[in-house]
Amino acid sequence: MPISLKQRLLLLSLTTVLVVWVAASLFTYFDAREEFEELLDAHLAQSASLLVAQSSHDLDEIETEHAPLLHKYSRQVAFQVWNEERVLRLHSANAPTQLLATKEQGYSDNVIEGKRWRVFSTLDAAENNLIQVAERTDVRDELAEGIAGNLLKPLLVSLPLLALLLWIAVSRSLRPLVKLTAEVGQREPENLHALEVASAPAEVQPLIERLNQLFARMEASLQNERRFTADAAHELRTPVSGIKAQAQVALATIDDEQRRHALDNVILGCDRATRLIEQLLTLARIDNLGDDLTESCPLKAIAAEVIAQIAPMALKQDVRLELCAGEEHVVNGNPLLLRILLRNIIDNAVRHTPSGTEVKINVSAISGLTCLSVTDSGQGIPEAELSRVAERFYRPVGTTASGSGLGLSIVKRIAEIHHATLDLKPSSTGLTVSLMFK
Amino acid sequence: MRILVVEDDALLGDALQAGLKLAGYAVDWMKDGASADQALLTEPYAAAVLDLGLPRLSGLALLQRLRGRHHTIPVLILTARDTVEDRIKGLDAGADDYLVKPFDMGELSARLRALIRRSSGKPAAALSAGGVELDPATHKVRYGGVPIELQAREFAVLHALMLNAGRVLSRAQIEEQLYAWGEEIESNAVEVHIHHLRRKLFSRLIETIRGVGYLIPD
Repeated sequence: MPISLKQRLLLLSLTTVLVVWVAASLFTYFDAREEFEELLDAHLAQSASLLVAQSSHDLDEIETEHAPLLHKYSRQVAFQVWNEERVLRLHSANAPTQLLATKEQGYSDNVIEGKRWRVFSTLDAAENNLIQVAERTDVRDELAEGIAGNLLKPLLVSLPLLALLLWIAVSRSLRPLVKLTAEVGQREPENLHALEVASAPAEVQPLIERLNQLFARMEASLQNERRFTADAAHELRTPVSGIKAQAQVALATIDDEQRRHALDNVILGCDRATRLIEQLLTLARIDNLGDDLTESCPLKAIAAEVIAQIAPMALKQDVRLELCAGEEHVVNGNPLLLRILLRNIIDNAVRHTPSGTEVKINVSAISGLTCLSVTDSGQGIPEAELSRVAERFYRPVGTTASGSGLGLSIVKRIAEIHHATLDLKPSSTGLTVSLMFK
Repeated sequence: MRILVVEDDALLGDALQAGLKLAGYAVDWMKDGASADQALLTEPYAAAVLDLGLPRLSGLALLQRLRGRHHTIPVLILTARDTVEDRIKGLDAGADDYLVKPFDMGELSARLRALIRRSSGKPAAALSAGGVELDPATHKVRYGGVPIELQAREFAVLHALMLNAGRVLSRAQIEEQLYAWGEEIESNAVEVHIHHLRRKLFSRLIETIRGVGYLIPD
């Protein structure tokens, strides 16, 4: 069960309110109680001083009755007046007959006949009579409980009300999120339009912005894929047409030599279509590859490996391959992709160089940058077309060698992934394709 | 009938050339738009098969240039671009027909026959003059209902004359329709073909206008 933001907010705010409220109530309660105790103590002292004033006169034993209770908070105050022999001379009706407190000066708490009393004792001016004024503690407690109750009652009533209001407030605050969820949830998979940012609350805006960025990236990659599929389907049409037309010529002709020629062309066409498909797949794979360039790639070793693979084909065409590399040069990248890159460049060079010539592969360091270059002895590419050759499916005029027009697109893409600059320029013998690794 | 094929793909161009030759056409094959434009300026083609994605001069640009010169040659666009917009663009640029790759050789020749028929102002599939019937689709010729065996070149000469019935064609004009570029033209080939045609059909079908050329009367 995931954490509900709403529940969490509600719980946190309610707990906070409760804790603060209880703390405030406790503080108020204890503070009030202290003040109130002091007030009552002061009353005891005042009552005692009145008695002191009276006890100086010779008094008969009198019964003191308090006026009837006018208020529930009216306190039951008892008093005792003891003479110098500590004989009880005077006491209120509610006072016990034994000494309320042994202490003769000041306040004390005592239990008499199972009841707790707060007692103020004092001696009169002649220090003959002991006057004790007392009040039942349970009455005091009752009063204190009343105060506490009054403090807590609004809390108990308002807490559920507060919870309800908070719930409404939190729900309303979270509505943009709910709306966003619904909007994203109802989207068709192909709908990658940006979500509206302006109307969203500030906290949600970054989320929407990130989502929009994601949508944009997905849209771009989808577009790329669509374009690629369309291009690929389009480019496969021509070789397939060629194969079909050649096959129809083979069927229609009565000339054996022409039939053989047409059938040879059918096979050639199939080979070309196969190569095109392979390169399309390679390109698609590169396009979907992340930029994982963390591996160390020894360029010299990779070049040697690729040259060894291509050498048999080159020998068949009487093309010599030569690797010129001093020490090993290591670049960060993806060795698999670099192998594909090198194979495409060298393969391309071998295809376009005349028989009896050579293709040179050079790995070197130029002003701190690792440079990889492949030079052939072919006819090169006209200046005007140099910028276009790396476009997908582009094949320069007069190209006789079989090719899909995808090889350099693959090279370009891999170079881009490796942040290497691809450069094509005429050399003294033919064409030089060079890559500078940063 | 001489056809211009403009196609940059080697295998497809080769097949088009061979296939259309088998269908009885003389075929010139150009691999880019600019050389096709040059060829169209000088050679009298009966029709052109045009790819759109061409180096140096795109098919559409070539077509616009051609129509800008009021060249009336029937043009069939043969392309991998198959969207409705592409077809509309192609036809509006001045193409007479539009065929999407991959195609069938039979269909391509049938469409070319239809285009040539219409451009010659003779909409019936079979041509007839003076009791001779010629079917360009089947390469069959009948005279008075009886099938006549003709060689490919003889058929082509008869086809050219019948398409242009009522008009005089010079020897050079007939030759241009018979031979593609680079093909060896025998010096008196046209005379030989006419002679054979007269022998196989009847002597008065093809009239000779001395010093000018030949004609089949309407």
